[in-house]
Amino acid sequence: MALKTFRGGAHPPERKDRSSGLAMERLRDVKLVVVPVNQHFGAPLQPLVKVGDSVKRGQKIADADGRMTVPVHAPIAGVVKKIEPRTQSNNLDGPCIIIEALPPPAEGQPAPSAEDLTEFMPPLDAFACTKEEALARVRAAGIVGMGGAGFPAHVKLAPSKPIAVVIANGAECEPFLTIDERTMIEQADDVVEGVAITMKIVNAPEGVIAVEENKAHAVPLLEKAIAASPRTRAGMKIRVQMLKTKYPQGGEKMLITAITGKEVPSGGLPMDVGCVVQNIGTLCAMVDAFKEGKPLIERGLTISGGACTKPANVVAPIGTPVADILAAGLAQVDEEKLGMVIYGGPMMGVAVPNYQIPVQKNTSGVLLMDIVESKHYEEETCIRCGRCMRACSCRLSPALLAVAIEAEDYKEAEKIGLLDCIECGTCSFVCPSHRHLVQRFRVGKQVLRAMKQKEAQNAR
Amino acid sequence: MPAKPMLLSSSPHSFTPVSTPKIMLAVIIALIPASAYGVYLYGFHALALILVTMASAAAAEFVFRKLIKASTTVGDFSSLVSGLLLALILPPSTPLWMGALGAIFAIVVAKEFFGGLGANPFNPALIGRAFLLMSFPAAVTTWTLPQGLVVGPDAITSLSLSSGAVDAVAAVTPLGIVKSGKTLADVGTYLGAHTDAELFKQLFLGYHSGSLGESSVLLITLGGIFLLAVGVIQWAIPVSVLASTFIFSWLLGMNPLFSILSGGIAFGAFFMATDYATRPLTPKGQIIFGIGIGLITAIIRKFGGFPEGVTYAILIMNIATPFLNKMRVKKYGFVPPVKPVKPSKEASR
Repeated sequence: MALKTFRGGAHPPERKDRSSGLAMERLRDVKLVVVPVNQHFGAPLQPLVKVGDSVKRGQKIADADGRMTVPVHAPIAGVVKKIEPRTQSNNLDGPCIIIEALPPPAEGQPAPSAEDLTEFMPPLDAFACTKEEALARVRAAGIVGMGGAGFPAHVKLAPSKPIAVVIANGAECEPFLTIDERTMIEQADDVVEGVAITMKIVNAPEGVIAVEENKAHAVPLLEKAIAASPRTRAGMKIRVQMLKTKYPQGGEKMLITAITGKEVPSGGLPMDVGCVVQNIGTLCAMVDAFKEGKPLIERGLTISGGACTKPANVVAPIGTPVADILAAGLAQVDEEKLGMVIYGGPMMGVAVPNYQIPVQKNTSGVLLMDIVESKHYEEETCIRCGRCMRACSCRLSPALLAVAIEAEDYKEAEKIGLLDCIECGTCSFVCPSHRHLVQRFRVGKQVLRAMKQKEAQNAR
Repeated sequence: MPAKPMLLSSSPHSFTPVSTPKIMLAVIIALIPASAYGVYLYGFHALALILVTMASAAAAEFVFRKLIKASTTVGDFSSLVSGLLLALILPPSTPLWMGALGAIFAIVVAKEFFGGLGANPFNPALIGRAFLLMSFPAAVTTWTLPQGLVVGPDAITSLSLSSGAVDAVAAVTPLGIVKSGKTLADVGTYLGAHTDAELFKQLFLGYHSGSLGESSVLLITLGGIFLLAVGVIQWAIPVSVLASTFIFSWLLGMNPLFSILSGGIAFGAFFMATDYATRPLTPKGQIIFGIGIGLITAIIRKFGGFPEGVTYAILIMNIATPFLNKMRVKKYGFVPPVKPVKPSKEASR
């Protein structure tokens, strides 16, 4: 199979071998969950429960009106203990609903039945219902993009332009992370079914499962699942496309370019080039939402890193403090060696002060980095070597962009393409002087947006 | 819970193993064949000149930055590269003190005055050479015969060289011979090559008078290929410099092959024009930069007062770098702005 890819990019050390061979393990008997109220990209939610309320597993506990909102559900059955601000995986404090599991029944008492403790929606046939019903189900199930951004899935699945291809994002280009890889291996049928459901909702004629070369062993399993799927037998066109291993191929824009050769226009969306891109975990969550009526209350994640003496791919309820996954023995950490905790991958993940922070809908992994991996470099002067210029997959001339931002020349920065930066961090990774390039761009984007907003207000 | 505080920093949390000192070391390694050949051709004085310029460059940077109370940067090895490059483009007989002076001028005036590494608009080694060329024109244009090369008496008479040129110290470079109005055949006679093919082979291998490290096109190209292979330089500049020198020399009626095999053009293409701080960053800019260098070199060689023009060609194109940096590639997903149909929107406001 000819390998496709995009222009630019880099090859950070993969380190996936630590966990790629480990089957997903389910964390059971969770005693306590800390569920952030806002886990999506969009308007904030309101809690629907009070302290002291009993909640069932799958019961909606936070919601709000508005298009860019996605409800949150109780991941376990129990009692709401507190509603208070806690540190979230973006290292900011936000309102969290803390639910404690019911204590085990007293001696002689019958254990409550699973039916009493769960509240799922009725199953829905995605291929028989209307598009509106399907979109309503996706929203009601609390599904967001699980790859990191947390974009509301029901918004993504209601494009205003015709869609030619649905892309399943199995690139998983971040080092260390292997959860998408494991999902494609262990739940290949669900991945294919998820692609089919997405194709049905957006009315796309083609589905492509994009897999990077370093996960080539998943391809035969996916192809088998495609051949066996009732959807492809009914005529739906789904195929696997292998890609050259390169960061940031899992970025929506880069993936679309790799697969279709088209570029998402500046300021535009994937639908502008007829594409919808879905994360592997999101596809499986959608299958659960239709088949079982189960909302997004648990997810798979990779726990790895140099200080992680026992790496793992774990399925845990949303809101589980990662410390509890370690306490349950599914993964182990060497406290002596630990230097840094990252939620997400090493290229775009967020460094946090501890691993008490809960698993969220968009937590694809937790990395416990050792002291060597946590090495921090002093920023040196730019030698103008041009490595960032060649690596930037958006072709933004990072070296020149950084100069413009340092000079506070935001007009020039905008012209070079500051707002087109996808913040993948490739420029900072390849810089031999360890310049804080993407870090400057992140701040610069906020400043520029604020400036534009002010200008717009003044113009009124 | 971790017992000690964790490192917090903005992503990415992974870093390339490439660093500035490693890049500079790669350049020094790439220059070893050409330098060693220079030492073989011209003996101990050549080695001393290399060591003196490198040491003076490093010392100048160290002392200057101490004086202005800036951080010490000698550890990035960039001053060593500048010193080595300067030695390799000077005549092998250059007095040691002169080499040291050139290196100090290159580092202090051409580099540190502008803010040090990465901030200098002109190539420091070339500025060092240009400075010496203007200050001591005689010394920096006095050439030495490589060891073992005997120039026949008939060549001396046919070239009507002064007797001073025969005393085994002074010699002429191939470009110098052509500049004085002679032909390629005369160059061949001077170097003991009987045919054009033999002459080109001798020029390619580097057995002729010239600057310390720039005579062997073969060894320079090997160093250049090494730098290309390890990703320190890209092909755009060397290829455009050599191609445009070839083409413009041809258009100006010079032998194009002779033009790229003689003088400092190969050395300039691989090691001088590719200098990070002074070449454009954008791919389009780099190609125009290279074409400009070839064009100016050909013009200087044809019409200028000096037989060689690479130094000034690169320095002149260095001036254009900030402008060439405006020639950015089209960014990802670029949509050309739609020109407003109405002549002015101001009126409607």
